[in-house]
Amino acid sequence: MDISVTLFGGLRHFLPAGSSFNKCTIGIDNEASLEDLLQKIPIPETKPYIVILNDEKVSLENYADIKVQQNDEVVLLPPIKGG
Amino acid sequence: MAWQRQILRVNLSTGSCAIEPLNMEWAEAYLGSRGLGSKYLYEEMDPAADALSAENKVIFATGPLTGTMASTGGRYTVVTKGALTGAIACSNSGGKFGGELKMAGYDMLIIEGESEKPVYLHIEDDKVEICDASEIWGKTIWETEDFLANKYQDPLMRFAGIGQAGETLCRYACVVNDKHRAAGRSGVGAVMGAKKIKTIAVRGTKGVSNSNPKEFFRIVSEVNARMTDRDEMSRDGTLGMIDVTNGFGSLPTRNNRSVRFEGANKLNPEAMHTPNDSGHTNIVTNGACFGCTIGCGRICKIDPNHFSVKDRPEYHGASGGLEYETAYALGSACGIDDIDAATFAGFICNEYGMDPISLGGTIAAAMELFDIGAIDEKVTGGIKLEFGSAEALCQIAELTGKGEGFGADIAMGSKRLCEKYGHPDLSMTVKGQEFAAYDGRSMQGMGLAYATSNRGACHLRADPYGHDFETTEIEGKAEIVRDSQHAVAYLDSSGLCLFPGGCGWGLDDYRSLVDAACDSDWSSEERMNETGERIWVLEKLFNLKAGLGKKDDTLPKRILEEPADVGTGKGLVCRLGEMLPEYYQLCGWDAEGVPTEETLQRLKLS
Repeated sequence: MDISVTLFGGLRHFLPAGSSFNKCTIGIDNEASLEDLLQKIPIPETKPYIVILNDEKVSLENYADIKVQQNDEVVLLPPIKGG
Repeated sequence: MAWQRQILRVNLSTGSCAIEPLNMEWAEAYLGSRGLGSKYLYEEMDPAADALSAENKVIFATGPLTGTMASTGGRYTVVTKGALTGAIACSNSGGKFGGELKMAGYDMLIIEGESEKPVYLHIEDDKVEICDASEIWGKTIWETEDFLANKYQDPLMRFAGIGQAGETLCRYACVVNDKHRAAGRSGVGAVMGAKKIKTIAVRGTKGVSNSNPKEFFRIVSEVNARMTDRDEMSRDGTLGMIDVTNGFGSLPTRNNRSVRFEGANKLNPEAMHTPNDSGHTNIVTNGACFGCTIGCGRICKIDPNHFSVKDRPEYHGASGGLEYETAYALGSACGIDDIDAATFAGFICNEYGMDPISLGGTIAAAMELFDIGAIDEKVTGGIKLEFGSAEALCQIAELTGKGEGFGADIAMGSKRLCEKYGHPDLSMTVKGQEFAAYDGRSMQGMGLAYATSNRGACHLRADPYGHDFETTEIEGKAEIVRDSQHAVAYLDSSGLCLFPGGCGWGLDDYRSLVDAACDSDWSSEERMNETGERIWVLEKLFNLKAGLGKKDDTLPKRILEEPADVGTGKGLVCRLGEMLPEYYQLCGWDAEGVPTEETLQRLKLS
């Protein structure tokens, strides 16, 4: 299935080629976890971010346990720095 | 020595200008800029005096690194008692004015008294004169700068002054330098207006040196190489934050009724970079202040066919555009998603000299008053002041800049406005100063930082961002807010900008630069922490003497009682009541928020 992922702030520069300004569509298996999904987006380990799944923040330790569903809304946010 | 070791004192009542030695004992204890300016203000005026009286003083203070080759070393602070808040005001600005003042030979300019007639100050190194301002009083900041630049025919002369908003005592009038950089917050421009001083024109040729330039250059190069994460800030400025806080659910919207704005994608960097119907983008280029290697400034143009500037060619050129705070205040706070209208309102702030955060926050409060029927078109002079109305925003911004019509009410700030119309709870302020672009429910640490900020609600008095991003639980936030308040006070006193801290620098990098610039040993973390704390507590003491206290360390009822509607903080209110006692205790203050004698002695403040 295809999942739409939005990357805000500087994270958008790690979107796969052909993506729109800050969104991409990632194809994953039906039983794939959130961790599987994230591994398909080439964000360097040095760039911290949090995951908002359907408007709720997901803890890092739960990435592997959460199964992604069709129509899920996945948003990746870099840290808030102020300004 | 990175200090020039002298200050310029101008008394507008007597017309005297005097050069005095800098108090180096104080410089060793308060570093410079915000800290040292606050020390002078604290010692020289009665904090209980009216902010708009002759007893108040306006201090333009540079730091030891201002005017040096250190990256971002162009900052200065305007220190005074704030016209908006009645609290100490330390309003920081970039641009090129601060470096120029320092190169004219002055660490600080102290303006005292008040003039009978409008004047401006002309400084060329040791030559200082108070000049008649009758030709520029009533002019905008842009007109004033153009007039004086033409008069003096020196392209390197820099200006910092007020527009009509300062002259008409708009409570959040600011001081604008270089046409669009501003010491924006707390109404420092209104204090200038009350003293009838229009602007300061300065040209300096003395340079800024120190005892070991070769070693200083080595440290500057070394530290600058560690600024490795600046590309995003150069490309998007602070505006990139709007998508992040909107996604997180901490973007104040419609006077904090919500924490997410459906129109944020029309105000974000993508919108700024997307060609409009006229075929050009809102953004023209980025801009940098003196000595800056980031360049976060947005230099923007309004679509010439936009209703706000149609047939008004004076607004078709490029000027300072939307940054994150202005996009919030003139955008989401008012429910407005029209990037050209928000840019226009921002231009008006630059031109007339108003703090866009307070202007937007006050218009947002007025829109809510209009929405609930507390005011109507009879009050507003026929303006349909509805949330989302770009036309109303543009009209009201201009009226406020000129102090005309309902704009005179908006110029009071949201606290006075909401009190006047019987709904004080609708003012999203702390100590009378409007919120910045973060909601204190999804960002609990920011809620505490707003409540305890010495200058009223402010996003630049602490750094709870990282921890707030990680968790909405309150454990640990009091300590983070306290520690970062001290760190920011130190950084603001150095003459450097805070933004390198988001681009790769750590506190040790700032400390290395301060140590390399100054003669005495500033290398230790202990001295940095103690200096920052001393500055923070001194500001607190000023406020206590001004009559502020625990009652003022609070938040609006909405943030304390109405849960956030969406996002990561959905269902939460700010738990200030639990955090504040812990914060006071960690600060070494009593239960009423008064520093204990032990704390004062430790900081050599008693």
